[in-house]
Amino acid sequence: MGYEWDFAIVLRDADLLLLGLLNTLKVTGLALLFGVPLGLLLALLRLYGAWPVRLPVGLVIEFLRTTPPIAQLFWFFFALPILVGVEIDPFRASVLTFSLQSSAFFAEVFRGGIVSIEKGQWEAAKALGMDRRQTLARVILPQAVKRMVPAFLERAIELMKTTTLVSTISYADLLYQANNIAQSTYRALEVFTIAAALYFVVIFACSIGVRRLERHMARTGETTAH
Amino acid sequence: MEHQWDFSAVLANKTLLLIGLQNTVVLGALCLLLGLFFGMFVGAARYSRNPLFYWPATAFVEVFRNTPVLVQIIWFYFAFPIVSPFEIDAFTAAALGLTLNTIAFSSEIYRAGIQSIHAGQWEAAKALGMGYVDQMRRVILPQAVKRMIPAFMNRAVELMKMTSLASVIAYGELMHQAKTVSTIAFNPIEMYTAVALIFFVMIYPATVAVRRLEGRLAAKG
Repeated sequence: MGYEWDFAIVLRDADLLLLGLLNTLKVTGLALLFGVPLGLLLALLRLYGAWPVRLPVGLVIEFLRTTPPIAQLFWFFFALPILVGVEIDPFRASVLTFSLQSSAFFAEVFRGGIVSIEKGQWEAAKALGMDRRQTLARVILPQAVKRMVPAFLERAIELMKTTTLVSTISYADLLYQANNIAQSTYRALEVFTIAAALYFVVIFACSIGVRRLERHMARTGETTAH
Repeated sequence: MEHQWDFSAVLANKTLLLIGLQNTVVLGALCLLLGLFFGMFVGAARYSRNPLFYWPATAFVEVFRNTPVLVQIIWFYFAFPIVSPFEIDAFTAAALGLTLNTIAFSSEIYRAGIQSIHAGQWEAAKALGMGYVDQMRRVILPQAVKRMIPAFMNRAVELMKMTSLASVIAYGELMHQAKTVSTIAFNPIEMYTAVALIFFVMIYPATVAVRRLEGRLAAKG
């Protein structure tokens, strides 16, 4: 097969690809910024809320975890604007979807971390005269969060991979830019291979970092909660 | 702005949605079967001490685990056909991407499962005169697979969700059918709500089953 590879024509648009990568990181970062605190809130409500709060929160978490992200994104982009009568651009729809979606996963990480703390810690804090809120904030969460760090980072990596969906609603992330360049240069093979390689470099570097951290924590006796 | 919910157009197009659901299930089931089958070999290769097996398998797993699955599907649909000797339609491209992705992830489950079996089991099988293949097939895998079942089910759940990505390359699975109908019937609210509910009903029982099974396996130690 005599296919002539030509990466030069694609590299002329390298700045567009990098801009796309930047947008990928932007959506991921913002989703983390909103998703993590919201996840903590959801976890606490699910663990300690009265049942009229606990049950719906649990249902929302399960729903967000078991429906395809693309269905959620389309719902927030195509359906929600009609429902509320406010226009939502691709960027906002993306950040909204992925903040909510990741908050459900982070809620489960938080919950796993909190329940992994031994009961003795609660009793000790109580003996010191702390109430439940103080115990959570000063004793339980600091220990739990430490154990959860690798699980958080793994989730963040998954999130970055999932944000490629924003290209389907025309937000200019890396995949969207690659698609555009492929159409204008007729060099789909080179463009998508470069795009995949870019994703690989960023995500693989993060994965290796997480693995190192996990090994380090295992050595120093910090068990990881999954 | 009070929206009048009206699911009649969803119901009127239920044949189209059912076809989509069927395509979703076919794609998911095929990729799961192929992924679990070939994942076993890649997992064994990752466990191998022979660099000729270890390195290619490792490279494959890292590439497919560390790139977005949507990029994989799009690569097989738009890029791969340029060098491929055979034609690739949307189904083939989606099946290729999702299967290879599932092979990569399930091979890690096999590897961890095999590693979790005590070394004494290998030695005992060897003492009985079994070769590597027999040790693996008769002694190690039967024990390991039991421990791996929850992880495999989680993979199946992820895979079913991922099949919706095939809509991006216009394979007529559930999501794509919904998109098509909603542009004709102008009912994105009801349509996407219905699709999300269908996926939830299909996938949620599996996640409950996984949790039960994990609980039972943990209780048995």
